[in-house]
Amino acid sequence: MSASPMATIDPATRDLAAVLAAYPEVFKQAKLRRRQRTAILLVIAAYLLFAAWFFDITPYRLFGGLGNMGIVIRSMVVWKNVATWDYASLFQGMIETIAMAFLGTLLASLLAFPFTFLAARNIVKPVLPRHAARRFLDLMRGVDQLVWALVFVRAVGLGPLAGVLALIASSIGDLGKVYSESVEDIDQKPIEGVRSTGASRAQELRFGLLPQVLPVLLSQTLYMFEHNVRSATVLGIVGAGGIGLQLSERIRVQYWDQACFIIILIVVTVALIDLFAAFVRHRFIGKPVAARF
Amino acid sequence: MLILESLGKQFDGRAAVDRVTLRVARGQMLGVIGRSGAGKSTLLRMINRLVDPTSGLIRHDDRLVSALKGRELMRWRAACAMIFQQFNLVGRLDVVTNVMLGRLNRHGFLGSMAGAFSAAERAVALQALDRLGIAQTALQRAETLSGGQQQRVAIARALLQEPEILLADEPIASLDPRSSKLVMDALRRINRDDKITVIVNLHDLDIARAYCDRIVGLANGSVVFNGAPEDLDSQALETIYGHDVETGSLLDEPRRPTDFRVWAAA
Amino acid sequence: MASQPPVLPATSSQSLSLFERQLKAQRRDKRLSTLVSLGLFLIVLAWSIEVSGFAPSVLLAGLPRFGEYIHLTLPTLSLENLLANTDTKGSIPYWFFNFRHYVVLLFQTINMAILATLVSFVLGAALSFPASRNLAPNRLTYLLARRGLEIARSVPDLVWALLFVWAFGIGPLAGIVAIIVHSTGALGKLFSEINENIPMSPLEGIRATGASWFQEMRYAVLPQVMPLFLSNVLWRFESNIRQSSVIGFVGGGGIGEELYLVIVRNYYEEVSALVLLIVLTVTCIDLLSAHVRHGLIGKERLA
Repeated sequence: MSASPMATIDPATRDLAAVLAAYPEVFKQAKLRRRQRTAILLVIAAYLLFAAWFFDITPYRLFGGLGNMGIVIRSMVVWKNVATWDYASLFQGMIETIAMAFLGTLLASLLAFPFTFLAARNIVKPVLPRHAARRFLDLMRGVDQLVWALVFVRAVGLGPLAGVLALIASSIGDLGKVYSESVEDIDQKPIEGVRSTGASRAQELRFGLLPQVLPVLLSQTLYMFEHNVRSATVLGIVGAGGIGLQLSERIRVQYWDQACFIIILIVVTVALIDLFAAFVRHRFIGKPVAARF
Repeated sequence: MLILESLGKQFDGRAAVDRVTLRVARGQMLGVIGRSGAGKSTLLRMINRLVDPTSGLIRHDDRLVSALKGRELMRWRAACAMIFQQFNLVGRLDVVTNVMLGRLNRHGFLGSMAGAFSAAERAVALQALDRLGIAQTALQRAETLSGGQQQRVAIARALLQEPEILLADEPIASLDPRSSKLVMDALRRINRDDKITVIVNLHDLDIARAYCDRIVGLANGSVVFNGAPEDLDSQALETIYGHDVETGSLLDEPRRPTDFRVWAAA
Repeated sequence: MASQPPVLPATSSQSLSLFERQLKAQRRDKRLSTLVSLGLFLIVLAWSIEVSGFAPSVLLAGLPRFGEYIHLTLPTLSLENLLANTDTKGSIPYWFFNFRHYVVLLFQTINMAILATLVSFVLGAALSFPASRNLAPNRLTYLLARRGLEIARSVPDLVWALLFVWAFGIGPLAGIVAIIVHSTGALGKLFSEINENIPMSPLEGIRATGASWFQEMRYAVLPQVMPLFLSNVLWRFESNIRQSSVIGFVGGGGIGEELYLVIVRNYYEEVSALVLLIVLTVTCIDLLSAHVRHGLIGKERLA
């Protein structure tokens, strides 16, 4: 059984030198790879050195800062005078945050709805209006929510109204983009089916397209709401209402324990909102859609 | 000498392997046969300690294998190589790197994190591949190879561990007959030339008869046959496989790969 | 056969009426739940309008002011002087008189994002292994890594920045560390989800050679997940660029500090100049990274 006639296994093991001579490319490739890896590592190391110089990051500053952070964290976990905290304004701030996110998402989705069709390649064939719509959406998206918030604070004053407007402005861009993209991803057959019955263009969209995209749009709007709850928590830092204002005030006067409480409040609220949104999606929409925010 | 003393493994209260006592002499080629679910695979995995036994002892020479921990356990695994039905290669790495992975146990933390294999190791890996007749595939990704080639890569990897024992868990169950023969020949040659003990789980009785020095039959986790291939008569077969030997259900269904989840590149 | 026809209509009409009854009940249930949902929705709507002070009167008063504000920020450009020097009113150079300063700040901002992405990639990747259910060496490390990443991720980077500005002082370092912490959390979670979807057999194969847990991660997991890690980190880089451009609002360095200053001090034309510059930069980097990402995915498909 030992030396089988059909075996392609070399019965006499060749010695090392012969094997090496037969496959030089294996070693060449190993050398090449090692060089590539060294080159990449060198580039990264050089960049890190440059960045450390450019930002003046020294071990002294780094460890000093982390040491200070240690102090902050230590004073965060020791809660003092818990009875005297202004819970009313804290919870008010959190509620305001959710209300801002809700209203901002709702109004933004209404305003973004026309772009669903206007910016979709398979609905609006002419290039000009479609591109105009797209560039408008890109502009709204490109300007950060916080910039919008600051601008609206200048325009309409401090408070949640500026926050709602900021959320609307940036969400129009995000929602318009994903809405129109989900229309572009759509199956064309039902639309052709409706067209074949002699329906008008508007009827085609109403009966062929809308039933397909509506659940997707709703699901994306829910994702936007989750996202907006997160971002609404920080809008207050620039004065646009919500819990962020409370948080930045507590940090300014170094009430670290209360700041910690607020952060926990934010984390828990965000988690609850995510659960709620997941429930609604599961209950009313069913079809899973990937989050894009 | 590898000694198993009333070795047992319980899964959810059910005994997969039930008080197995076995001695395997150095340099032997031992075949383990039995129906699927008889505990063959669990038995092999316990020897290599991929599965921890719930009772009993494993000894190898003066090592108490079943009590090993940490570094010592890893050293034992290195000395007790294993090949699998589904080859268990890293598909995205090239063949020669896969083979060199057999040396990991001899590398320190930093060296192996940096991926520094020596030229000598590469040479030995290539030699092992050459010996198994697949050195020309050295730079291909392992996943592009046929099943038979992949199993030989796995054997080459095992060889680089310079093991004292080689465990083979259904090595040919997913292979066509021609590849099966190549793989079994390779195992046999390694056993003869390198004096490595080989313990192989097989579902094919004829192959077990043809290649093994000794055969152990398992049924419901217990040893029901232990002897030379010649002694494997119809009565012994009936105790191993039950009554329907003649109907062909003697052959295990080759197990489907269950742990290959669909790779969704999302 | 002959005896059957009388039976058939009876069952049929019976089942038909049953069907109709069920349909009616179903419709009634559905209408009821729709009404309840709608009612709830309207209550929440009214409540949120109340809470956020989104009154039509306030809105009507505010929106014209917003229009006015936008109008003020727009530069006065005149066609004949469009490309004249910085001292001529109505020219682009006049509008962007501070261009050099902006470019330095933009460079700083981009480097903040690069450094933060680089560091958080390494940290997130390293932490993603113990934070994956299928890879964690034991339950305790799994829980620690998982919870740690969740906290890092669910606290917004601006809040991290508030804390780090206090610890490190005002400047880019605070912003960089804040972005590192937040995006380590985000990447770590994402990566651990990728890790949880890999086939496990290569790990077993490597473990059987006597490899350590670290070696298993390095050789059995990393080669499988690296391409997905890379395409995700590019996506993260895009959002880190956005974040680093506003982290200066709270003192975290970069162009955000300047933007905050010009908005608060009402240097109207500089607001539009800066915003335009930032939007253009962000868009360019998005396009570039999308290009690289497609290249990565394309290469993956071919190989």
